[in-house]
Amino acid sequence: MQNHPSYPVLSQLLEKYPATGGALFQVYNDLTLAQKWIDVEVLDLPACKRAAIKGKRPTPDTDRVPSICIVVPCSLSESISASWLRAAFTSLDPLPSEIYVAITSEDTSTVYYKISQGIVKPPV
Amino acid sequence: MSLINQTSRSKASLKPSSRRAETSRVYAHPLPIIFPEPTYKFLGLSLTRPLNPHCTALFDPLTRSAWVSSSGDATLLWQRGFFGKGDLSRSEPSWLARQINARKMKGKALTSEEITAKRRAERKQFKLDRAKAIAAAAAEAETAFNEQGRVIAPGIAPDGTRIIPSAATWKPTSAPVPSEKSPLDVAPDEEEDMEPIQDLEHLQLSLQEAFFLVWALDCLTILHPRTLVHLVFTQNVSFTLAEIWNTFQNAHIPSLVPQPNAPSPLRFDNPFLVSYVAYHHYRSLGWVVKSGIKFCVDYLLYKRGPVFQHAEFAIVVIPVYEDPEDQANSPFKLQNAEPFTWSWLSTINRVNSQVQKTLVLSYITIPAESRVSPKVLSSPACFVHYSVREVVLRRFIPARMRD
Repeated sequence: MQNHPSYPVLSQLLEKYPATGGALFQVYNDLTLAQKWIDVEVLDLPACKRAAIKGKRPTPDTDRVPSICIVVPCSLSESISASWLRAAFTSLDPLPSEIYVAITSEDTSTVYYKISQGIVKPPV
Repeated sequence: MSLINQTSRSKASLKPSSRRAETSRVYAHPLPIIFPEPTYKFLGLSLTRPLNPHCTALFDPLTRSAWVSSSGDATLLWQRGFFGKGDLSRSEPSWLARQINARKMKGKALTSEEITAKRRAERKQFKLDRAKAIAAAAAEAETAFNEQGRVIAPGIAPDGTRIIPSAATWKPTSAPVPSEKSPLDVAPDEEEDMEPIQDLEHLQLSLQEAFFLVWALDCLTILHPRTLVHLVFTQNVSFTLAEIWNTFQNAHIPSLVPQPNAPSPLRFDNPFLVSYVAYHHYRSLGWVVKSGIKFCVDYLLYKRGPVFQHAEFAIVVIPVYEDPEDQANSPFKLQNAEPFTWSWLSTINRVNSQVQKTLVLSYITIPAESRVSPKVLSSPACFVHYSVREVVLRRFIPARMRD
């Protein structure tokens, strides 16, 4: 892993939170290399004992400004709770309307879930 | 069919039957080891040795997996048994091909990710069209009622045809726009000036897949991640089977370095052991076993492989302790070991029946430490003490299921 170009960016947080290091590495690579997000930065969320990723998601139609999205990685073997999600929201500044939870599996499959505060009607 | 192996004809020009024949040719071997046709037989026994590819992988403790970086080994392990997954792709490592595709803009032969992206964009457009049609029809019904006091069926035009588009009949009206915006002015002779893209993808094997290849088939060697000794990187050292056995059991402990010492205490309900029992059971019966995270289950079973047909069975691994005392003393909290709720079962069954998969509950019995001494855990011979029982679930609706 040390030879991977993403390692220098993440090395401090991987050492600080080794339990979620695998999920962070996988999600970071998926967003930057496969999904081609831009302006990606990594945030430290001590309340959730992990790092989160903030970036701009590319949109297919160019008239819409790419929106800033926050992704919180976690692995399938963990158990998460509503209070954990609430902590993720409150430790982010400015308070986002929604976050994405990225659940990773050991074979590198990643599923993303959009979590909003309260009940939100889907756009279409 | 993989884009990586360049065929002489593009995918679109192949007829379905010849594409099937091509797929059967590429994915002919169900396992990495090939048993060639016997050239010499003695007393009915074949004397030709099986061909063993001897692949190598690197153990990564943080991601709890084994990485295959050599593209030859990666292709081989994928094509012979669908082992592993590209870490930047949907199935086989195709990231480099996608980047080269995007650069050259030869969009004729698309990788599976690009086909999926195109289909999703079309479906999104269809949903927007449908929402607009519904809103327009509702507005029309409103005005008709307000002005003339008559009620019209909102979805039907006067001549009886549907106004609201349905998924079966909708066609994309405009060609996708983004392709025009890419720089098409890169002349062919300038392509050589662009530096070659470094392949940042690897094939990742889960611990269960890696152990199966190492122990059951003996076609994989796992290397220790490079360590710095006296300011010099040592040569990659390979693990012994005993070290792999211990390291994989210790993998649930978050660590930046592998832990090759025997776990203490030795426990039958180690998460790696329990999930490996299920993996080995189905693999040895000939199923291709892949991760089921996309369908809220543990494993998916394919008859021949993901490229042939969708998975027919979705497996949920449910560990059962022979002795409840072991569960009370356990340092692990295995998933699904507690009694589950009806709502959980209904949710998972519903998700899987919507994608036409049959849900199978796979009960793995964990032997009691009072009956079997944990000393047997020093080697994979302990697997003989576990057992697997399946319960197949189907939703039964008496009113509708009479024919």
